[in-house]
Amino acid sequence: MEQQHKSSALLLGLLVFGALAILTAVEFVFALTIKLWQFLVLIPLIKAGLVLYYYMHISRLFETDLDSDHESYAYKLLTNRIGLWLFLLSDAFIFGGLLLSRINLLGLTRPDLNQVLGLAVTSILLISSFFANRAEILMECGERKQFIMNIAVTIGLGILFLVGVVGVEWRLAPFGPADSIQGAVFYVMTGFHAFHVLTGVIFLAIVLRNGSRGLYSAEKHWAVEASVVYWHFVDVVWFFFYPALYLIGTLAK
Amino acid sequence: MKHVVIITILVIASTLLIHTGLTNIDLLPAEASAQSVEIDQLFGMYTWMISALFSLIMVVLVYCLIVFRRRKGETGDGAYITGNTALEIAWTAIPLILVVILAYIGGKSLGVIRRVDPSAMKVKVIAGQWYWQYQYPEYGVTATDLYLPVGHQIDLVMSSNDVIHSFWVPEFRVKQDLVPGRTTELRVTPTLIGEYKVRCAELCGTRHAYMEGLVNVVSQADFDKWISEQQSAAPADPALRGQQLAQDYGCANCHSTDGSEKTGPTWKNLYQSNVELSDGTSVIADDDYLKTAIVNPNLQIVKGFPANVMPDFSTTLDQTMVESLVAYLKTLK
Amino acid sequence: MRKFFSLGLVRGLIWQILGTAIGIGLLTAIRQLLGLAAWKPEPAIVFGALLGALFFLYGVGVLNNWIRVAAGEEIQEHIDESRLGWRRYFGASLDHKVIGIQYLTLSLILMVVGGTFALIFRTELANTGMQFLTLMEYNTLMSLHGIVMIVGILIGVAAFMNYLVPMLIGARDMSFPRLNAFAFWLAVPAGIILLSSLILGGFDTGWTGYPPLSVRAPIGMQMFFLGISLAGFSTILGSLNIIVTIIRQRAPGMTPFRMPIFVWASIATSIISLTATQLIGLSFQMVMFQRLFGMGFFDPGKGGNPILFQHLFWFYSHPAVYVFVLPGLGLISEMLPVFARKPLFGYKWVAISSIAIALIGFLVWGHHMFASGMAEYLRVPFMYSTLLVAVPTGVKFFSWLGTLWRGKITYETPMLFLLAGIVVFLLGGLTGPPNATISTDLHLTDTYFIVGHFHDTMFGGYVFPFFAAIYYWFPKMTGRRLNEKLGKLHFWLMAPAFIVLSLVMMRVGMLGMRRRIADYDPALNFVIEHKIMTVAAFIIALGVLVFLINAFWCIRKGEVATGNLWNSRSPEWQVPSPMPIHNYETPFEVVGEPYDYGLPGSVYVKFKESE
Repeated sequence: MEQQHKSSALLLGLLVFGALAILTAVEFVFALTIKLWQFLVLIPLIKAGLVLYYYMHISRLFETDLDSDHESYAYKLLTNRIGLWLFLLSDAFIFGGLLLSRINLLGLTRPDLNQVLGLAVTSILLISSFFANRAEILMECGERKQFIMNIAVTIGLGILFLVGVVGVEWRLAPFGPADSIQGAVFYVMTGFHAFHVLTGVIFLAIVLRNGSRGLYSAEKHWAVEASVVYWHFVDVVWFFFYPALYLIGTLAK
Repeated sequence: MKHVVIITILVIASTLLIHTGLTNIDLLPAEASAQSVEIDQLFGMYTWMISALFSLIMVVLVYCLIVFRRRKGETGDGAYITGNTALEIAWTAIPLILVVILAYIGGKSLGVIRRVDPSAMKVKVIAGQWYWQYQYPEYGVTATDLYLPVGHQIDLVMSSNDVIHSFWVPEFRVKQDLVPGRTTELRVTPTLIGEYKVRCAELCGTRHAYMEGLVNVVSQADFDKWISEQQSAAPADPALRGQQLAQDYGCANCHSTDGSEKTGPTWKNLYQSNVELSDGTSVIADDDYLKTAIVNPNLQIVKGFPANVMPDFSTTLDQTMVESLVAYLKTLK
Repeated sequence: MRKFFSLGLVRGLIWQILGTAIGIGLLTAIRQLLGLAAWKPEPAIVFGALLGALFFLYGVGVLNNWIRVAAGEEIQEHIDESRLGWRRYFGASLDHKVIGIQYLTLSLILMVVGGTFALIFRTELANTGMQFLTLMEYNTLMSLHGIVMIVGILIGVAAFMNYLVPMLIGARDMSFPRLNAFAFWLAVPAGIILLSSLILGGFDTGWTGYPPLSVRAPIGMQMFFLGISLAGFSTILGSLNIIVTIIRQRAPGMTPFRMPIFVWASIATSIISLTATQLIGLSFQMVMFQRLFGMGFFDPGKGGNPILFQHLFWFYSHPAVYVFVLPGLGLISEMLPVFARKPLFGYKWVAISSIAIALIGFLVWGHHMFASGMAEYLRVPFMYSTLLVAVPTGVKFFSWLGTLWRGKITYETPMLFLLAGIVVFLLGGLTGPPNATISTDLHLTDTYFIVGHFHDTMFGGYVFPFFAAIYYWFPKMTGRRLNEKLGKLHFWLMAPAFIVLSLVMMRVGMLGMRRRIADYDPALNFVIEHKIMTVAAFIIALGVLVFLINAFWCIRKGEVATGNLWNSRSPEWQVPSPMPIHNYETPFEVVGEPYDYGLPGSVYVKFKESE
């Protein structure tokens, strides 16, 4: 990627992050004031759309290359992309099922959770996505050292998220998994999500290690792209889980 | 053209043949409810439909297999026909219209069987592993057999004490699950006097097959008679209720009341006696001891008696029932 | 001896035992450290089983390449496996043909195991009263019969999709060969874990595993939940591979409507199994968590909802039945033109009908819950959507008739099984509308009528087409053909006996015979019918036995058949049998329609001139 494209790509990444951050803040304020669940479903959809298009580059799936040699790197790259996205599609069904279960079991009530902590971990994950996007752009430009730094920050923030949720939240929550239906729903949703964050962290760590040994280039870095796209997916899931657990509904008795 | 004529004749013949066959063998139990009359009409419609469609496809199929088989010595391929758009549209559109009509008919039928009669008699049904219990709130009667007056709509309000069960009297046709933690409803209007069986229709554990009960549809007069019999028989005294429960739930199979040895400890003189447990400790058989002995027996096994033999009554017997049993046990000297 | 231990399967099993033991020990140690009562069998066994499965995957060798990639090493894209001979079939092969046959073998084993369970409890049912089984044993065998057959069907579907799809589209292999091997081998420990329920107390819930009953069932229940979760994951990965392969690996000139029809069936099937399967995994895992951690999802006492389970479960399990039958129906559409020597009538409509069935199939799950206590008004839309599925299904039937019309039909064994498939699936399909209509369903649900209905659809949509496909493609796999006389004997034993079985099932069901009961009321007067059903089951088993003998014998000693035995236009028959190792040494281009039988001079595929 040329220098000019690099700075505009980085700028775009920053702008998208800014939009996501603002939307998250709006979400939080809406939850405190307007309290209409419809908004708290619409905003995550907009955030998801932004990430799917600008961070995950979903449009790359529709680049046609059907006349290419099936053995070429370029052809296999698109094949791999389609495979990854189908995997994410399948995974989305679990999270969809969990959301529907939450709606069925809790309705318009929500568990009693620490809002500061909730906003904090949400922000951490969002910022980590920003750095993941930077890392990918820098790899596309062949900037190995900067790529490594940004991936390392992503991983660090991912670990911080896990500490925040599994380490702190789970301990601070006024209920255990077996105490109430709020408890059961909270732990199963955050648990499934945390499991995916953990696997994402492991995936990124492998990419960090291999990247620092020079295995990836600007032209060939599928593992980087895959791990970052997976990471964004995990963030997108949280876009929906956060309002579902923290913002929508009134506190249950 | 010749093909079409022959096939049409054969299809009509086959439809009539199959339909006659199906309607002349017993395929449904007796119609004993208003709902069953409605539902059997729908079954009748489906019998025609199945006879006709089966005939249509099978006749054409067999016809092809015979008429278009390769004869000895024949070479070459079949006729080059790739499709026929008009036919495709026809056999997509016609079934589409047909299924919408069927669904509409089904919807109307559902409305008929779900018709609410405001004067319906309410009967509470409680199911558990593996028994049926009925309560008649209007009369204050509890029973383990279901008695119903003919010609009246019954509003069965149902729940389960443990796992999912399902209420089904085949002669009534309609079926409804009983779910723990919520109430489900089933309306039945029995129309034929007789003795039937309710059979649990949702797998509910090992004895699911045997979870059957008596359903007696009787005249209004007989029903009133039965109600008054139940009302006078129901003991208000908890100890008498406890005695009835001990009988209903088979406790006497293992516990004697006269001191004789059986699988479990005797109940004679049990209350306030000194009991030696299998772990070596001794306790007084007070109220708490007796309650625990009923719902959590393995916590305090009496010395010389086997553990893990008494069935689990912790969800079958509610608090009132346990208290009645304890009241009864206290009377046994 | 060393050769034995070098087989992937053997190493996998050894590692699985090791992993299970380590898992049990590890969990007990963790519990001790956390200050809990150290030995609790259920969590230990569940964790042990899971770890065992993971260790199996390592032992069989399907993780090696990925571990090396993660470590930063280079791996070879294509490996020459030909020197391994028969040993390829017992380890991690990357060849889709080997994997297809591995799936096929596993499927047949599971069907025989599941069928044996049925023979056992059918013998018990031949008389009223309990003859030789306890109630828990009956319930376990009946439940396992259901789930083992279901897994066997899923595996069989995977067998044919994996074996055929690359060949039919002119590809060398699947897009992700390593993923393919991983997905297959995951199914093996999954099956072992499932069957281990037999020695862990069994389970008495039927394959549907409804809570609250499944929360109180013995530990065997957990093995069922875990085994199916793993098998589900295997299905998901397999279908991902199929979809990508079909999108990316087609030969030049193979536009979507020039693909063999089975490829369309495979896409439709894979769309379902890629997505919906996650829901059964989720529903099972939620019950597992309820059992292990007390999380009250389905416990009304804790604010849970038992009916939520049914929604999650059936959201997968209804589309799942289309996973079971769409491939088989696709196989019928694929082979019928060859035996009728005529084009597939209305090819485009048939292709779209598979997609339509798959999509509409997502909208009908509530029809399993008409009596469940779910919201009353919700039942009606499900009735409409369920009846709607009949329309694309009808398109297929009419197309088959159109294909046979004015054909030149011959009756080799594969054709006989195709016809049995059509007739039996017709019975299954026609008994659908009474089930779809709520008021009649309230009488029929949970009776043997349903059992008859789904056995009809399973045999018609899977079992018979599956046997047709085996007789048809056996020469492609082995270079020899199965014995025709034994094949016809298999058919004449299995088909009539099955039809009788399913008709009797439906009769007793309508008259009051509930399903899933170990014993039945003598007053119902069903003893003769049950005896008939038991005898029919044994005749079916005899047919399968004849087939197995035929197969075992003919792999080595069958009549040699290396050419285009069926005179098919399909690409895989234009190259010799057994299929060459890389499928098409000379690539081909699609220049015509797949089913233009009867059009003089027409060609479907043209092989490129060798340089």
